[in-house]
Amino acid sequence: MKKLWVLASTAVAVMGLSLAQTSVKVGVILPLSTVGGKAALNGIQLAADEATAAGKVRFEIVSVDDGNAADKAVPALTKLLTVDKVDIVIGGLGSGPTLAMAGPVKQYKPLFLAIGAASSLVENAFTGYDDFFHFHPWDYHNVAAAMDFFKYLYGQGARKIAILYEDGPFGSAGMPTYRKLLQDAGYEVQAEPFKTNSGNFTAILTRFKSFQPDILYWIGYDWDALPIATQARQVGLKPKLIYGAPPAWPIGFDKNPNSNDVVGMSAWLPSVSNQESRNFVAAYKKKYGEVTEEYMAPMGYTIVKALTAAITAAGSAEKDKVAEALAKVKLNTPFGPLAFKPSDTGKTKYQGFDSSIWFQFQYLGGARRQVYPVQGAARPIRYPGSY
Amino acid sequence: METILQTLINGLLAAGVYALVASGLALAVGVVGIVNFAHGEFLMLGAFVSYFLFAAQGLDPLIALGVAAIAVFVAGAISYYGLIRPVLAAPELNQMLLTFGLSIALQNLALLLFGADTRVVSPPYQGSTISLLGLSFGVVPFASFVLSVALLGGLYWFLGRTRLGFAVRAVAQNRLAPGLLGIETQRIYLIAFGLSAALAGIAGVMLSVMLYASPTIGFAYTLKAFAIIVMAGLGNLRGVIPAAIVLAMAEAFVSTYVPGGGGWVEAVFFLVIFVSLTYRSWRFR
Repeated sequence: MKKLWVLASTAVAVMGLSLAQTSVKVGVILPLSTVGGKAALNGIQLAADEATAAGKVRFEIVSVDDGNAADKAVPALTKLLTVDKVDIVIGGLGSGPTLAMAGPVKQYKPLFLAIGAASSLVENAFTGYDDFFHFHPWDYHNVAAAMDFFKYLYGQGARKIAILYEDGPFGSAGMPTYRKLLQDAGYEVQAEPFKTNSGNFTAILTRFKSFQPDILYWIGYDWDALPIATQARQVGLKPKLIYGAPPAWPIGFDKNPNSNDVVGMSAWLPSVSNQESRNFVAAYKKKYGEVTEEYMAPMGYTIVKALTAAITAAGSAEKDKVAEALAKVKLNTPFGPLAFKPSDTGKTKYQGFDSSIWFQFQYLGGARRQVYPVQGAARPIRYPGSY
Repeated sequence: METILQTLINGLLAAGVYALVASGLALAVGVVGIVNFAHGEFLMLGAFVSYFLFAAQGLDPLIALGVAAIAVFVAGAISYYGLIRPVLAAPELNQMLLTFGLSIALQNLALLLFGADTRVVSPPYQGSTISLLGLSFGVVPFASFVLSVALLGGLYWFLGRTRLGFAVRAVAQNRLAPGLLGIETQRIYLIAFGLSAALAGIAGVMLSVMLYASPTIGFAYTLKAFAIIVMAGLGNLRGVIPAAIVLAMAEAFVSTYVPGGGGWVEAVFFLVIFVSLTYRSWRFR
């Protein structure tokens, strides 16, 4: 009889919990074959599991692969919206696929929570769409953070900067502005485009030799990282700093001796010491058995945390109510405090993070170490570096 | 003067790998008579063999060269036997569509199995440089160049000095007559196609050290290899090395001396294809 009573009580408790929980189906569209995409999905799933376990919101995550390509992203999103019938979508890591998704999003009108997609072209494309929440900083925030670092380096004696940029929209779009900003900061600038995926930089680097740059700054993709670091040595360029800004870094680059002293920008590393970051690292390690260095993992985690807070506040998974509550969410995250405000240009209504989350790291002894801003640095920057 | 010499060296070293990739393609075109759009994917397989042997066993890419050559030879032979052989008598358009499909399939298979991420191989000598008379170049590109020249020398020796090589050349000249002399044409095709893939696989190992391993690494090199074999004359193996040198030099000089020339690199290759084809059609009119 006692056993029956315990069983019945447990069943009632479980039923009560599930009734009290708000259930929501969320579509996730990411480049799932990339490190960043996989990390983002892990972060999303981790926060969803935590919300379900806490009895707040019961998430059903439906994920699709955008292949980091516009032609795959649009049908994948359409499937989420028409077959899976989700009202809330998390995604848009790459700017190109997100730009292509703007049309279907405006047609089907989901609540769209953008995890990446830093290009201002995306900001233009989503202008006037009020259910668009952009968590990641925009490209002008990225430029502001990098410029802050370059001004610091100017103070350290750097005067000449050679820029190697890929000739696609990612590398070329902001180049005239960048050049002007650097010149205004006192730098002498020589900028050269390269064909993306060409892998051969020796000719351009040879040309840079006569310019004798203090900083070699490359704007390209992960596959350019090692060839540039290696070929700069091979032609004897010897800059004082190699600085890169790819969306991701190649697997194994940190353990490659040629990565030593290379500097890059990130929004998060596991060594970030705020409480939310420490909690995230511990929970991630417990669930996946490893620690990630990809900032897309805590970004995905943060989005679902914010969504959980909004659904809890709204007391409903109804899209409009969730959007209204999300606009008011204030949250401590692994990146620091999150609150939404209109974007700097005023084109979109809900912008999450800005340039303040970015910091500079340096590959030192096989690991990424935060080196700038100086007050949060784990190590002093090695300038001049040894290349 | 120093810049000119450095540019010459840069171009010459790049030509080695280009020639190795293009020789394999020239072999497939010249002997088997098939325009293989999947050639770059065999290169990609070689790059991944190198990466996984290094990541799992710490095996030096120099040793991985042999393993990759055998593995990719087998992959090429299987592709020939299962896919190419049945369409040898089909119209050329069908053959091209088939190899194009094979290229897409292999690339997507690699994406599924390995993901889209870029992976790097890190042998200790990767960043080593040689400095000579004020000029500087990498040990790895130099070693790749020497190895490419040695391999191509070996290939020419094989084709010009061995019975099997004679048989390959005979089949390349006439598909039917060698059969009447007791040469097994299908076996020769199989060896030639496997050898073609193996050369690409070896180039893939070199590129895994010089650049990276990723599912899409082969595409750019397929385009360059096509430009080279068009310039050399389709199937003309002896013309491959001079054509590779001319193209690599053109690429290096345009990148170095034309402002913003880095963005024009692929245009150089396509310009060469355009000029070569136009010149030939005009010359043989």
